[in-house]
Amino acid sequence: MDVSPPADRTERRRLATRRVLTHLAIFACVLLVWEAAAWSGIADPLLYPQPSAIAASIVRIFFVQGNIWWHLWVTMHEVIVGFFVGTLLGISLAVAAGLSEILRRYMKPYVIIMEATPRIALGPLMIAWLGFGFSSKLAIIALVCFFAPFVNTLTGLLMADEDRMEMMRSMRATKRQIFWKLMLPAAMPIIMAGIRLAMASALAGALVAEFISANHGMGVLLTRYTQSLNMPSAFASLLTLTAIGFFLYRTMEIIEARIIFWQNDAEMHRVAKRRGAAWSSA
Amino acid sequence: MAAVLKSEARAAVDAAARPNVLEGERVTKRFSETVVALEDATFSVPEGSFVSLVGPSGCGKSTLLRMVAGLIPMTSGTLAVRGEEVKAPRTDVGMMFQKATLLDWRTAVENVLLPTELAGRTTDADRKRAIELLHLVGLEDFEFAFPRQLSGGMQQRVSLARLLQTGADILLLDEPFGALDEFTRERMNIELLRIVDGIGATVLFVTHNIAEAIFLADQVMVMTPRPGRLAKVVDVPFARPREIDLITTAEFNEIVAEVRGILGGH
Ligand SMILES: Nc1ncnc2c1ncn2[C@@H]1O[C@H](COP(=O)(O)OP(=O)(O)OP(=O)(O)O)[C@@H](O)[C@H]1O
Ligand SMILES: [Mg+2]
Repeated sequence: MDVSPPADRTERRRLATRRVLTHLAIFACVLLVWEAAAWSGIADPLLYPQPSAIAASIVRIFFVQGNIWWHLWVTMHEVIVGFFVGTLLGISLAVAAGLSEILRRYMKPYVIIMEATPRIALGPLMIAWLGFGFSSKLAIIALVCFFAPFVNTLTGLLMADEDRMEMMRSMRATKRQIFWKLMLPAAMPIIMAGIRLAMASALAGALVAEFISANHGMGVLLTRYTQSLNMPSAFASLLTLTAIGFFLYRTMEIIEARIIFWQNDAEMHRVAKRRGAAWSSA
Repeated sequence: MAAVLKSEARAAVDAAARPNVLEGERVTKRFSETVVALEDATFSVPEGSFVSLVGPSGCGKSTLLRMVAGLIPMTSGTLAVRGEEVKAPRTDVGMMFQKATLLDWRTAVENVLLPTELAGRTTDADRKRAIELLHLVGLEDFEFAFPRQLSGGMQQRVSLARLLQTGADILLLDEPFGALDEFTRERMNIELLRIVDGIGATVLFVTHNIAEAIFLADQVMVMTPRPGRLAKVVDVPFARPREIDLITTAEFNEIVAEVRGILGGH
């Protein structure tokens, strides 16, 4: 909540506006220099298309031809499904391992081997086993998304501090209660960090998988444009991916702040207020 | 007011007339061949008394408390609460730690309600009691604050309220205010006395501070390290309620000197 005096607040808003304007000005300069470089022939416009050409391409592939939508859908579908499958598998296996000393012991060598193997190197094998379509992509992305949530969940669960464990036991909590009411919530911040990493690798994994072999998807589109030297469209596709990456990251950030609200001041105050209100109305 | 009356009444009753709620006989705990945390401790604690445990670091104070709480098994000896051998945590025994051990994702009142929740369904009466307990420990207006919004002292107050919510009347307090500053600790001690007197609880209170141990207690268990031993149980005869000026009297300082002497011999 903003409790500073109004004069101070207008002053700060003015500064913020000025900062945004400066950023825009610098960005415009960069674009101009780039555009000029292409026009003057310093940079070969065939390989390094000027901003205006890229902008035209964006309009074309999204709205005139509209061909990007299908590829975008294919990739996003793979990313979302693969991300969920990999993350859920990673977390569930880590929970099982976290609860069972025996399972943990026997799983360990495989985990070490898998961790040492670059997961993306399994890409060509997956395609050989599962074909060019959706299932091989799903497998590759799930594989890429598996590890960070797995390792983080396991670490988080094993990290639960002894004092709070004893506190729970002294109140005669069952194993199940200790897990749900202490270990899992306490591990949530580090689990969420793992999930965020998985989200970032999901998009990269999907593109690499499509580079290896596929008929549809943003990776295919990007390769096709580059190979036919349609650089403005290649750049337009790249920018689209940047935007998607940013969107996914922001979404994860918002979800994370809500889940681990007690580590975020603004969210914590919000939840405190809500719970207080719910209490007095009950 | 009621608390004061009750504690006066308590002082009037001869300690020997009250039944022992806790009895230990040659209680021993070895963590390994060489680490003897506690050896041959024999003691008894009458109902409603306040017992302090003092001794240097590593003399087995926490170990003793954790065995009474049923958190760790002993190596040999017998330990009985209300005549029953301790095998697991009991409902009439509660423990409080040096760290507040609150759950960060729960508001103060939700933390206080934790023991109720673990035991089964939470009723409106439980909820009402949790709020009352928070008021009792001086936390009006902080019922819905999260631990991170509270100072260290306030967190320990929540932790104390949570302990009271368990309904336990044998309270094991392991340096509960050890992490707090001198002023806060003194205030918390006095409030603690008021509260436990009010509910007539039996208290085992661990501290490093000799004066604090004596000021609070009916009996002081003096412990010495390597191996952990219960060197002596010193009686503290002063009437209750006690005023803070007590610590400047000659009688008080005689007891301080006695405890110091026992500890110094090691
Ligand atoms: N889980 C454990 N495993 C092995 N040794 C332990 C364990 N817990 C305690 N000990 C040892 O037992 C001895 C007594 O420890 P304890 O924690 O009871 O001491 P304490 O009197 O509470 O000390 P402090 O005042 O520092 O809290 C110490 O030597 C300690 O190293
Ligand atoms: Mg200790």
